Amino acid sequence: MSAFAEGLSALLDPTVAICLVLGLAVGTLVGAFPGITGSMAVALASGFTLTLEPVQGLAVLLTIYVGANYGDRIPSILVNTPGTPAAIATTLDGYPMAKQGKAGLALVSSSMVTTGGILISIVLFLFAARPVAQLALKFGPAEMFALVVFGLTIMISISSKSVLKGILTGIAGLAIATIGRDPITGDSRFVYGINDLNSGLSFIAVIIGLFGIAELFDQLLTHQQSKIKPISALGRWWPTKAEYKEMGKPFAVSSVIGMIVGVVPAAGGDIAGLIGWDRAKRMSKHPEKFGKGSLEGLTAADTASSATLGGSLTTTMALGIPGDSVMAVMIGSMIIWGLQPGPSLFTRQPELVASIAGIMVIATVLSLGISLVRTRGMVRLLDLPNHYLWVGILIFCIIGTYTTSNNVYTVWVMLGSGVAGVIMKRTGFPPGPVVLGLLLGPLAEANLRRALLIDGPSILLTQPIAAGLLALAVFSLGAPLVGRARKARKDRGAGGGGSSDGGHAVADEALDEVAQRS
Amino acid sequence: MSRSHTPHDEKSPSGNTPDGDFPRTAETTAETTAEHAAGPLVGAGTLEAVDAAQAEDGHAELARSSKRMEIVCASIAVAFCTVLILAARAIEVRNETGGVDPRWWPEVLGTFGLVLAALLLVVAIVRPPFDRDDMEAATREGWVRLAAAVALAVAFIFLWPVVGFLFITPPFLVVATYVFGGRGTKTVLLFPALMTAFLYLLFDTLLKVPL
Repeated sequence: MSAFAEGLSALLDPTVAICLVLGLAVGTLVGAFPGITGSMAVALASGFTLTLEPVQGLAVLLTIYVGANYGDRIPSILVNTPGTPAAIATTLDGYPMAKQGKAGLALVSSSMVTTGGILISIVLFLFAARPVAQLALKFGPAEMFALVVFGLTIMISISSKSVLKGILTGIAGLAIATIGRDPITGDSRFVYGINDLNSGLSFIAVIIGLFGIAELFDQLLTHQQSKIKPISALGRWWPTKAEYKEMGKPFAVSSVIGMIVGVVPAAGGDIAGLIGWDRAKRMSKHPEKFGKGSLEGLTAADTASSATLGGSLTTTMALGIPGDSVMAVMIGSMIIWGLQPGPSLFTRQPELVASIAGIMVIATVLSLGISLVRTRGMVRLLDLPNHYLWVGILIFCIIGTYTTSNNVYTVWVMLGSGVAGVIMKRTGFPPGPVVLGLLLGPLAEANLRRALLIDGPSILLTQPIAAGLLALAVFSLGAPLVGRARKARKDRGAGGGGSSDGGHAVADEALDEVAQRS
Repeated sequence: MSRSHTPHDEKSPSGNTPDGDFPRTAETTAETTAEHAAGPLVGAGTLEAVDAAQAEDGHAELARSSKRMEIVCASIAVAFCTVLILAARAIEVRNETGGVDPRWWPEVLGTFGLVLAALLLVVAIVRPPFDRDDMEAATREGWVRLAAAVALAVAFIFLWPVVGFLFITPPFLVVATYVFGGRGTKTVLLFPALMTAFLYLLFDTLLKVPL
């Protein structure tokens, strides 16, 4: 039996079906509740999927990932609040459509283009991941180190306002990863006689702390009672022929944008959605309707945002560098299951890659089905008081972390990370680079030391791939600084008047910056 | 749309806000999150559209920029990196080889970090503080809720191995629900009881995790 068929047949196990349904329910609910992000839900779920088989666990986590991409559109359209950051651009035209009595049409159209976006991007995963992985298999220690540095710098440049703060958090993550045994000699480092530290800090506990409990703490700190009521008059559901035609062009353009953004390490649906919406507006015959309830705008935003999933999966599985924050959490779980995402996954466990693609397709189709029938119930769910949610998250973070090791020490690590996480969030230090540094630290250190011991420091500059990746890493950190300085000069030249030359000049400049980064 | 400051107003050439603390308002988390997520990546027109789309909702005050906070953070970073260098030098190695040994990588990280942290400290002292217009301001109630949540979690984790899961979880959930704003018998008593039963069945009975 071929690896592909073997991977798909693994999905016929009834327990996988149960996991898919469970993940779908959780993912849809998570998306629908503003404040719970996909990364937070996957981090929480990773706590109790570690006891499952890899395929079962992946079924839960990937289905949450997909389900959240459907659920988050509901509050965006009905209450003008994105369920997760990936649905920010949905609010631009989704809510105005709902106010015009077209909420049903917006919800159904959104579900359909989301399905299309995800399915197209999975085709990218199926065709592009293997060649990328084969290329990466030729990487030596110098290239692997450069790849990790590149991934880390991209995450820093995307997730932080201050490059200095971003690099410092990345260094903190790499430093935390040194706790425990040295990856080459096995010497103890920073253990201080504490047995639990011998195997390093549990990264699942740190991830749940930084993405789960820190988010909860931040909500507790800033929450104010909202007076917005969800729109309950949904109107007609299905698009007309003319509306389907209208959706065609933005769908095609945004699919491509979404896939490109998805492939960029650490860039996710939030960025893709806004870029897709922006591009569709420029190409539209009716740009004046954008932001006022345009079906084209809604289509562009949701397609681009959802089409990042396959690209993100490609980067994660082929290179071992997370495509977005959910994938960073996913890598943590996979390492616990004994799977190392990266080029070797395609040679050692090709069937698992087929299983992953299969899970994504099934999850997408099921999500579409559910999103077409369950929307009315969701409207009522949006009124659920926050205290149920907060108590649930708090206790699940605690118990979920405990299940990873059956040791209360891990729960203390999670709580400590949560407190550190909320302080970091409030002071502008992004948590993403810490997690990435923690996950990829041993890989970076071991490969750098091997490269230096075998070939000396010059190898980093003489190997073209390594040198190229390091140059891109430096560029990804330097470009935002240069861009900001150029914009500041321009603002000064215009008398400090900001965007006096119109939004599009600034938009061009910003999008050029995206193109440079990509 | 009435607002005292938009996220695009009053930027200094550095991209930071001018000196001093001042309150800012925004309409929803979506607007601020959008700018943070993609501020440098999409056009100003798009961000203004996000502003406009959110304009009719209730106002939430944004966090203030603070020079003092930036200086404290940078100082902590300097201290952290210094400790890292010292701790790395104190690592005991079984076979002293010198050069690229187990001490080398943490020391490199510490040194590189120290240089950057010192730079951050200089920036914090001489430049205006970074704006925090991508986050909402903390409220007095929020600080109480947060302190209570941390205290409750610490008490729970400490008492769990001593008292046992089934005895500590219901009172923990009752207090947590009340502190987070739940009122009424059904909410404060029934919800914690059902949640405890659900957790026990899921983890202990189904997933065989000894709670």
